[in-house]
Amino acid sequence: MSRIGVFTCHCGENIGATVDCVKVAEMCKDIPGVVHSVEYKYMCSDPGQRQMQEAIKEHKLDGVVVAACSPRMHEPTFRRAAGDAGINPYMCEMANLREHCSWVHEKGEATTQKAADLIRVLVEKVKHNEPLHPIKVPVTRTAMVIGGGVGGIQVALDIANGGHKVVLVEKSPSIGGHMSQLSETFPTLDCSQCILTPRMVEAAQHPNITLMTYSEVEKVDGFIGNFKVTVRKKARKLDEHLCTGCGLCIQKCPNKKISDEFNEGLGTRTAIYVPFPQAVPNKPVIDTLNCTYYKTGKCKVCEKMCPTNAIRFDQEDELVTLDIGAIVLATGFKLMKTDAFPEYGYGKHKDIIDGMQFERLASASGPTSGVMKRPSDGRSPETVVFIACSGSRDRAKGVPYCSKICCMYTAKHAMLYKHKVHSGKAYVFYMDIRAAGKDYDEFVRRAIEEDEVKYIRGRVSKIYEEDGKLIVMGADTLMGGEPVVIKADMVVLATAVQSNDRSEELAQTLHVSYDSYGFFAEAHPKLRPVETNTAGIFLAGACQAPRDIPETVAQASGAAAKVVGLFSNEELTREPIVAVVNRQAAPVYSTCVGCFICQGACPYQAIEQEEIMARSGEVIMTLARINPGLCQGCGTCVATCRTKAIDLQGFSNEQLYAELMTL
Amino acid sequence: MEAVIQRAKELLEQGEVKAVLGYAKGTGSARRPHFARQAGQLDKLVMDEACVQNLAVYVTKHEVKKLGKVAVVALPVTQRAILQLMAERQLRDGSLAILAVDDGAVKELDSASALEEHLALKAQVLNAKDKASLADLEAMDQGQRWAYWQKELSRCMKCYACRNTCPMCYCDHCTMDCNRPQWVPVASHGIGNLEYHMVRTMHLAGRCVECGDCGRACPVGIPVHLLTIGAEETVHELFGQRAGHKAKLDYALSTFKTDDKESFIR
Repeated sequence: MSRIGVFTCHCGENIGATVDCVKVAEMCKDIPGVVHSVEYKYMCSDPGQRQMQEAIKEHKLDGVVVAACSPRMHEPTFRRAAGDAGINPYMCEMANLREHCSWVHEKGEATTQKAADLIRVLVEKVKHNEPLHPIKVPVTRTAMVIGGGVGGIQVALDIANGGHKVVLVEKSPSIGGHMSQLSETFPTLDCSQCILTPRMVEAAQHPNITLMTYSEVEKVDGFIGNFKVTVRKKARKLDEHLCTGCGLCIQKCPNKKISDEFNEGLGTRTAIYVPFPQAVPNKPVIDTLNCTYYKTGKCKVCEKMCPTNAIRFDQEDELVTLDIGAIVLATGFKLMKTDAFPEYGYGKHKDIIDGMQFERLASASGPTSGVMKRPSDGRSPETVVFIACSGSRDRAKGVPYCSKICCMYTAKHAMLYKHKVHSGKAYVFYMDIRAAGKDYDEFVRRAIEEDEVKYIRGRVSKIYEEDGKLIVMGADTLMGGEPVVIKADMVVLATAVQSNDRSEELAQTLHVSYDSYGFFAEAHPKLRPVETNTAGIFLAGACQAPRDIPETVAQASGAAAKVVGLFSNEELTREPIVAVVNRQAAPVYSTCVGCFICQGACPYQAIEQEEIMARSGEVIMTLARINPGLCQGCGTCVATCRTKAIDLQGFSNEQLYAELMTL
Repeated sequence: MEAVIQRAKELLEQGEVKAVLGYAKGTGSARRPHFARQAGQLDKLVMDEACVQNLAVYVTKHEVKKLGKVAVVALPVTQRAILQLMAERQLRDGSLAILAVDDGAVKELDSASALEEHLALKAQVLNAKDKASLADLEAMDQGQRWAYWQKELSRCMKCYACRNTCPMCYCDHCTMDCNRPQWVPVASHGIGNLEYHMVRTMHLAGRCVECGDCGRACPVGIPVHLLTIGAEETVHELFGQRAGHKAKLDYALSTFKTDDKESFIR
């Protein structure tokens, strides 16, 4: 006969105000198998837990039901306490009186009765519980960082400095990300490249960091501590070991009119190229879509020019599989393009540009070498209008959220413009100025007060072209909605920050949750901001939500700390809530018939084949076996198995049946 | 039929197969399965319109497997069942010599890939009677359909003939016989009957080869085959997959795909 203790918690007012906990505790005493039932204001508090532990010892309890909040909240707490008191932690179960009862019902007799019923169900379950033991798995102490922007670089450096190996995977030919494209950074106006490129070099030279540029993650198998990641190394079409980065091939490439991604389409590049002169690694790639040789079969100028014979036209993509212990996602963001705005001319006016294009115009390494020239005719713009919240906080554009960085970079843009064109006029249309951050508001005030940027609170309804000028029609809502018309030479849209291309695909590859905008979801918005719901996968930077550089770097260091913490263990302990295929004595062996339909249903590739052999070595049966290291306990295979040969530990068929039948 | 017998004789005499499974005359106009282990027993084999049973149900039995390689006179339904059984790893590829008799001529198929190729050549067509019955059921509203099955299934006496005749119901330990815990009551009564047939239907949805043997086996004439065939047709409609057409397991209801059209799976 079981000796079960029931501990009912008031959760302050949360449960106590709706459920008569004293009565519930009284009612539970009558459940067969229950030898002890008490209630307490805060069961999770230290005195509450102590009360439970003492009762376990005093009444020789072999099972415990804590009737309190969601097991998601405090199951680990109570299981630990039960374990400390000497019983198997998995003999402790929680009845969720808060989310399943008090929060969803009015105060009343029926609510109290339901609370007692919920406990009764769990008491039946505990009677069928079996002691379970945590699963130990080894940890591969190599981290993979996906995305080589400032966030990814920071994560990689921090983990590498912590003494662990890091593989930094970047899809473009160079690390650096968006930050390498920026001119200056707010709120200090220090040069972006000057602070970033030394970090890029440091990452490339660090003995613990392996750079994999021009590479993409193709497949991820395994689980925390034991991932198997397949990376596609896209063919650069040259031998990286032979290439010295002399750049002769780039100079001689006859195909020079290709729109330059790094300069956001404002400049041109060759078919064999490095994205920017400070690229790391400084090894070119051949753009096979635009290269004359790949289009016509003739040319090969680069091959002829190369002093080290490094060009390999027949090079193929390479798939590399790596053993990885933890993964950090730092895949960044993309900006909404100007063609998403019908009211601003669908992107057809060359002088309506987005924020990143402005960065390139203002950058000393940009297509104009930092001289302010408008894209259409190269004249110096005398009047520039900046429009903040272009697309952001706009449900009609599908972006209800704030892009967070635009208020600051718009102020920065207006300042940079004023610093370069002293006679120019800068106008900023804004909805609100959100400049929360160290020295941020001071920075915006400086733009307004010292650099005389004219801030107009209001939206721009339309922009059209007239006599080489852009007519910006807006309203000033602080002047009673008075219409404002500005004849501008150039308009800069602070377009919305969006999740990166293919982020959903990557999330699915990694089994990571994501929100409806494609940003990766953190495990808890406040308390676990750098972790995902998939153990061993962490987040840094704008792939989670719009972020600026200081926040990205801070989060990157946070993620790195998590990884280093994980790697400080030799083995990991996992919950034993895994599926198990039953085994029986010969000649039955198992009720599994070996149809392996479960194998296709398993999202984690956890189901393997096991051969039952006779002494002669003859295979008697081939049965399914579930790898406890890979199994996540989702239970899909249990539902799929026709012979009910699979049981989920802690949620077995018999337990569920007993729970249902007691109602 | 002579050609089949001739080939079977060769196979038996050369020792390539240990037995030949086909049809023989049974009581009245019925046909029964016939195992010929010697060439002399082959004369009894017949092949006519009355040969309808899916012989694949026998080849998974331990007694038959123990014989060694067996030749099976196989109608398209039998071929589909054998291919599905191979995909579900209940039959080893190459453990049977399949004498396909669907084109008049005999075609010998001895591997899953040969079966797959052979079956891909022709479309699977549902017989007119079952098609009409399914259309009638489809035309009913939900209430009428519920009442229809309640009434039909109330006659079920849980003899499990439908299960035992089904080539795809090969589990040694059927979940219906599981009594720890006993989810489905054994006794023949309303809810228990309904549960049994619902479980059977779900277990065959996406796996049913549409032979209709379950319906023919029912001693009280419940058209239970309409349940499984109906479910199979629905799976085909929704996922474009059919049981018994692929050598590699292609089971719509247990395949995890990240690009599933339902958003909950992501």
